[in-house]
Amino acid sequence: MIVFAASDKGGTGRSVTSANLAYQRALAGDDVVYVDFDFGSPTAPAVFDVPDMQRGIENGGLHSYLEGTAPEPARIDVWRRTEHPVLRRTPIGAGRLVLLPGDASGGEFVTDQDSVHRCVDLLLRLNAEFDLILVDLSAGRSYAMDMVLEATAGRELQQVVSRWVVFHRWTRQHVIAAAGLVFAERGLLEGGAERGHDKDALRSVIRFVRAAVPDPDSALWSHLSPAQFAWMQMYDEKLRRLAAELGVGDSVLLGTVPLEPILQWREQLITEEEVVATQIANKETLDAMEAIARRLTEDTHWGQP
Amino acid sequence: MTDVFRETAAQPRTEAVPLSHLSLELGHLYMEDLADGRKGLRRHFERVRPWADAARADLAARTTGGRPRMSTCFLVDDYFSRFSTPADLLPLVLEEAERAGLVIDYLARESACAVADKVPLAQAVAGRLVESPPPGSYGARPPVSESGWLANGQRSPAGRSPQAMRRAEPWQPPSETNARRHSVFVDVELWDEDKDGNRTWSCPFLAAVWQLARLGLLRNEGEAVLRPRDASLGELPVEWDELPPLVRLNADADPFSAYRTCSVLPARFLSVEHAVRVILDQTDVDTGAVAQISRRTDNERQPMPGSVVERVSYVFYPEP
Amino acid sequence: MTAPPDTAPTVLACGEVRTCVLPSRRPLDSDAAAQLLQLRADERVLVSKRPNLYVLSPQTLTGVDCRLPTANGAKVRVVGTVAVRAALTEGRILQSSAYFRTPAQGPDRRRPWGHYLIRPGVLEPLGRLPESAAAQGVLAGGRPGELDLGLIADGVLTPLVRHPLLDQRAPLKSRHTRLRWAALPADPGQGPAIEEFTLAEDDLRTVRLRVPAGTEPAAIAALCEDFALHDWLLTTVVRLLDGRLGPVEGPDALTALRPAVEHLMHLWMPRARGDRTLRALWDVLEHDPGFTRQWDNLVQRVRDRLALLNALPKQPVAQPARAGEKT
Repeated sequence: MIVFAASDKGGTGRSVTSANLAYQRALAGDDVVYVDFDFGSPTAPAVFDVPDMQRGIENGGLHSYLEGTAPEPARIDVWRRTEHPVLRRTPIGAGRLVLLPGDASGGEFVTDQDSVHRCVDLLLRLNAEFDLILVDLSAGRSYAMDMVLEATAGRELQQVVSRWVVFHRWTRQHVIAAAGLVFAERGLLEGGAERGHDKDALRSVIRFVRAAVPDPDSALWSHLSPAQFAWMQMYDEKLRRLAAELGVGDSVLLGTVPLEPILQWREQLITEEEVVATQIANKETLDAMEAIARRLTEDTHWGQP
Repeated sequence: MTDVFRETAAQPRTEAVPLSHLSLELGHLYMEDLADGRKGLRRHFERVRPWADAARADLAARTTGGRPRMSTCFLVDDYFSRFSTPADLLPLVLEEAERAGLVIDYLARESACAVADKVPLAQAVAGRLVESPPPGSYGARPPVSESGWLANGQRSPAGRSPQAMRRAEPWQPPSETNARRHSVFVDVELWDEDKDGNRTWSCPFLAAVWQLARLGLLRNEGEAVLRPRDASLGELPVEWDELPPLVRLNADADPFSAYRTCSVLPARFLSVEHAVRVILDQTDVDTGAVAQISRRTDNERQPMPGSVVERVSYVFYPEP
Repeated sequence: MTAPPDTAPTVLACGEVRTCVLPSRRPLDSDAAAQLLQLRADERVLVSKRPNLYVLSPQTLTGVDCRLPTANGAKVRVVGTVAVRAALTEGRILQSSAYFRTPAQGPDRRRPWGHYLIRPGVLEPLGRLPESAAAQGVLAGGRPGELDLGLIADGVLTPLVRHPLLDQRAPLKSRHTRLRWAALPADPGQGPAIEEFTLAEDDLRTVRLRVPAGTEPAAIAALCEDFALHDWLLTTVVRLLDGRLGPVEGPDALTALRPAVEHLMHLWMPRARGDRTLRALWDVLEHDPGFTRQWDNLVQRVRDRLALLNALPKQPVAQPARAGEKT
């Protein structure tokens, strides 16, 4: 299965959340590959704590591969290469966790027919090998999105299950932006249809994840005044209505990631260790990641019985 | 120890074809050549005659032991444009050749170089192109976008849009691989396609197939192709498609295919034939066929150039 | 097929084999396999049905002009063609194989391309070839810009994998494996020998051989394809058993074991075909480490687990759905 992680705006926690989803699926036993198609900002290695490659790898990353200057994109075995103290002990029963980084100095680039071709080859190859392919796309309407829409519209990838997860923060502006990315002119649906996707079919494989959502009931907000608390609840309700109106309501919601202080400081994987031993991360965050990771493959969450 | 168990479908084989020493092409007829009727043909054969004699004399001087075997051939275009009918045109061609003292042993239709007896020859040859690698080629796949073209070197890098915040590369010239200091870069169009994907082969590409046929190097699944068939002048069809792809007009002719070829052509064909050489130089011909020819020339003590393109020669006569 | 006229005896032959499962729910029958492997319109695909179904593509060529990797850093430029072919065994295991041979010495400058084309699968060095250093270099893998046989093998495999005949629904997830080989001439009078068989990185195996003078590189390639196929089988079934199945019990284990039983178990057939002299080299691997011994052991483990699963009371075990499965 291929899961594309998209967002309209930066700062939605798309990359860090999808990295956590990849981690959770690998823990559950799947062979997982995380593909960094965030071409303008190839920083996935930092999230996985891979040393010497905090910003992608020097050469031979995905930029070089898709542009045709590297024959195969470099792969990083996360369990083996990470400096994260917990991740280095490969958990028993875990699947593989492999990162395909971008080039360290790579930037956004115009994709062409050749890069679409190479993208198809890459996804086919990964699909033969991995249970889950998580593709992190550049924010907004991007060349990366164009490329994967075109790649998945082709005959070769038709039999491979693809799903889309659109990340957005829980604010008015972000909700509008996320809906726009999917439904507006030159959005995901229209762009997909132009490249040969069936609009309804494509729509049925898009779900939304709300990230960095403040939960008024959590301990984090225990100091709130009653007025503040009431306002938050009222506004939360208002946002829900807005989201529903715009087509990004609860019926297409895959999950919600609570506001997690440590993620505000440092994009990283949330492990059991951070929650139980050092207690620097919240259990709710870990639970949310686990739940969303599980739902990626649970058909009931994708409108299928 | 010999194999007890054999599967015929698991054994490769290559059919041998009879071979002359030289295949001499007396002409290549296009519609425009007939613009002023048989006069054009007459002029052509008159110009060809001395060169045909020279080719024969040269062959006799170079053939060691045994009688020199030479066959002549003539190609009529029925692929790019259809004109006249075999019943009308062929007697005319033969008459004018005879008038100049020439004998045409074999006559082929140009469309036979595309498909002969349902065998897609051009398609097969296209599948055998192995591009000459410019220095630095270490095995990477060539980009797909240039398919349908074949160059004798490296093209100018395509003007790809650079990544964001990166500068575009300045223009670089193309270069001929293995050039002698300066390049003569040629990029040959092998075919084009209409919007439904129907392919039209280019004239140089079909001419390259024609050369390979004359060199006895074409096979289809190991079997000989373009076998000549006899035809008598009295029974020529009125449709080109009904004419066999390769007709033997002279019952006493030496074999059609030969170790080497020579073509006598008007000088305007020079660029086409340069393109043909670019194609032949990058065609991986049937290994079994090459080996058969090598064995035979070795037995006959005939010196043979190693590469296929060197087995091909031309005489370009000036016009008018 | 007879080799074309040759210039000099071979002092080094090298190759790389890529092995993967065919991305198709059902194995291909011989007709479909022949259609898949029709790499050239005018050359026959070889189909062999005994002792198992084996389909071999025509040989194609890739031109190269680059440096050959060498263990001692010596700079050797080679020009010529690398032979590439693809094979499908029992309609299930797809392999592509790139190989070349090279004489001890070549001309000082590059010749016209036609010279190389009538020597298919031969790379000629410009100057002298340090064959031992080159053999080690090829096995170790080159630096960027040096000859990359894996890439050439992949160049054939990649378009095959996206062929319209294939539905991209392989019965199991598995990795591509790579096997690199290098063969140097054996001492006069000596038979073929395996000097080294190494499991290198995750998916890379290297084999160093000695072969009698005049051994066809295609025959060595065939032997190494046979090694690669069986090594892939071992690698894949070991992963099935030791990977996620470690702690997993119940129906999930059954789901994971099924493809091995249905699609892989019957594929074990070392030295099914190929050159008789070279086939004897299998004895070396059977003795140490004992390929078939390990396979028998794995098969037994799979059978035991299945027997256990059947014997245990059927109880639903809550497990997360697997990403690779379509329900």
